[in-house]
Amino acid sequence: MQKKLLLSLFAFTSLLADSEVEMLKQQLLQQQKITQKLLTRIEALEVKQKKVVHTVQQQAAIKNVNTSASFSQNAYLPDMAFILNMSALDRNVKNSNYTTYDIPGFINNIGATGELPFNKNDGFNFNYAEVALRSTVDPYFDAFAIFHLSPAAFAIEEAFVKTRAIPYGIQIKVGTFKSDFGRINSKHQHVWQFDTQPIIYKSLFGPDGISDAGIQAQWVAPTDTYIMAGVEAFAGTNSRSFGADTQNRHLYVGYLKSSVDIRDDLSVLGGVSIAHGDNYDNNVTNPTNIYGLDLTLRNQLGSYSSLVWQSEFLQRDKKLSTRTDKQSGLYSELIYQYNNNWYAGVRYDTILKNDTDLSAYSGVDTSNLDRYTAKIDYHPFPMSRLRLQYSYDRTKVIEGERKDINEISLSLNIAAGAHGAHNY
Amino acid sequence: MKKLLLLTILLQGFLFASLRVDTTYSTMGLITQKIGGDLVNVTVLGSSKYDPHFIVPKPSLIAKLRRADLLIMNGGGLELGWLPPLLRAANNAKIQNGAKGLLDMSHYISMIDVPSSVSRAFGDVHAQGNPHFSTDPNQVLVMAEAIKKKLIQLDPENEKIYQENFNVFQKKWQRYLQNFDTKMQMCQGKKVVQYHELYNYFLKRYDIQSIGNIEPLPGISPSSKHTLALIMSMRQNHVKTILQDVYHEQKTAAFIASKTGAKVQIIPHDIRAVKGSDTLENFYNIIGKRICN
Ligand SMILES: [Zn+2]
Repeated sequence: MQKKLLLSLFAFTSLLADSEVEMLKQQLLQQQKITQKLLTRIEALEVKQKKVVHTVQQQAAIKNVNTSASFSQNAYLPDMAFILNMSALDRNVKNSNYTTYDIPGFINNIGATGELPFNKNDGFNFNYAEVALRSTVDPYFDAFAIFHLSPAAFAIEEAFVKTRAIPYGIQIKVGTFKSDFGRINSKHQHVWQFDTQPIIYKSLFGPDGISDAGIQAQWVAPTDTYIMAGVEAFAGTNSRSFGADTQNRHLYVGYLKSSVDIRDDLSVLGGVSIAHGDNYDNNVTNPTNIYGLDLTLRNQLGSYSSLVWQSEFLQRDKKLSTRTDKQSGLYSELIYQYNNNWYAGVRYDTILKNDTDLSAYSGVDTSNLDRYTAKIDYHPFPMSRLRLQYSYDRTKVIEGERKDINEISLSLNIAAGAHGAHNY
Repeated sequence: MKKLLLLTILLQGFLFASLRVDTTYSTMGLITQKIGGDLVNVTVLGSSKYDPHFIVPKPSLIAKLRRADLLIMNGGGLELGWLPPLLRAANNAKIQNGAKGLLDMSHYISMIDVPSSVSRAFGDVHAQGNPHFSTDPNQVLVMAEAIKKKLIQLDPENEKIYQENFNVFQKKWQRYLQNFDTKMQMCQGKKVVQYHELYNYFLKRYDIQSIGNIEPLPGISPSSKHTLALIMSMRQNHVKTILQDVYHEQKTAAFIASKTGAKVQIIPHDIRAVKGSDTLENFYNIIGKRICN
């Protein structure tokens, strides 16, 4: 049909091929071009139509084997875990008195600091629910977030990105996170071996330890022996030891850790740490330095049985306008894992040096501040834990008097969802 | 003089540059050694004394991962309980998930026992299927081929050597399997129970029936109720063999044996897990012999 049209056009042109009608000829030539263009377009359309028919037939031939939602991104969801922690507690101190305790030289009226300790109440406590998310963002970053929900508050406990592709054994972390200072600072309450924080950590850093917005760089040495060095810079919001004025505060942390295997089943991990920041006393900014030493020995007795001895010593040198406070303490714990289900442990906590202004405690014996703790854990299943803990605490002053506290608690911890791998 | 010494040390490093390969378990380590020969330096991370699901995450393992050019892992969730934090702490970009230097062996295996639904109500199940494929000698060549491909990808200059090593190994292993298969024929239809489903690939291949497990649910310690039910079922099915691994308690198996007259066989789950299982051949021979017995 189209070809015929073209042919007649050609014929028409040849008939009128005369010098007189040069202009008409030109016009016709143009028309011819347009017609040709139209032709090619029509041809192209025809081919396309054929193709469409072909694909439709082919699709009909394929069986419907996958009914997944077309826009589902389930495979890219972050690993998620949630943790529930609650307890029943018996203590020989009234709640109203307990929330005002002092640790002489370190904590003055715990209630006034705004820190709500875990297992606060004599009786039942729902401590917290925690949601942890972990995801690989792209080939260069991993992202983590841990949300801490207690009955009274919602907090971003940690939220950070971590590099995964820097060479030379270097890794950078940015966000808000727990410092790797010492042995247990970076660990969350639900993975602690005891429900209570070591006295020296609580005294120097508060319940969250060094946990702040900042940046961290860590380097693992290319050696047969494990050697890791790290430096961190923080906003410096930890007011317990640092709390400088809000304009100029800063906090720097550095540490060196190493581990060797003495035998295949006996290993040692040790570390030295330092935290350097400012404190704000009488409108003057002065330095605070905290030194940490930690040592862990682990003897593996089988796949599900081990003996772990872990100790940490911390010292704080706090320069004030008129003097320098020197305070230190340690904890030492022994944990025995009998099998998949049962753990037992004992811990001793003590303040070693308390060289500070204790004039507010005249007439109160502030020596020998220490605590004894024992626990038994039962894991009916790998993801749940019941813990019976007893402590005899001789570090507290309540209503102007030294008060020894006996406390017994039964706590339940549930970790559902994605596996947290086991700790060393 | 000192400089000369340093130079020779440096040169040596270049001349004898070998690939540092970490494997999570011993069997994969030994196969890697066969294919890589002198060109690879193999380090095994998980001791075969211990439960492969729960290798102790010692910091010394971080140092081993730090310098690896290649990490060969079993995959299928077997390392979930111990490897991820070590890998994150090792700061080694070469072997991170998605990098060229990470080989997940389970990607090359046709996984069996893949659950159609997964819930922790059924215990600590392997959501991606049974990852204990290395106890089956028929998976060895699949693993060897995946390792060969990966080594060639990382070190193309030595392709010929890897290929040659593979060919030699393949021939030897095919001969071994022929022999092995004939030996195993007499065990067809045999019935066993196992502690954890460590030997399913092997049992399926040689037509041996697994009647039940000592653990009531994967990763959960035995309960008396479940143990009694297992004893009943063993009596009904005339099961005379209990497959026990080296790292779980053995009291339950002994109790069941005393009630059923069955025999407890300690089966290695990895190279060197029991005495005499130090080569690939010996390892599978012991598995075969003790299951068949
Ligand atoms: Zn398993």
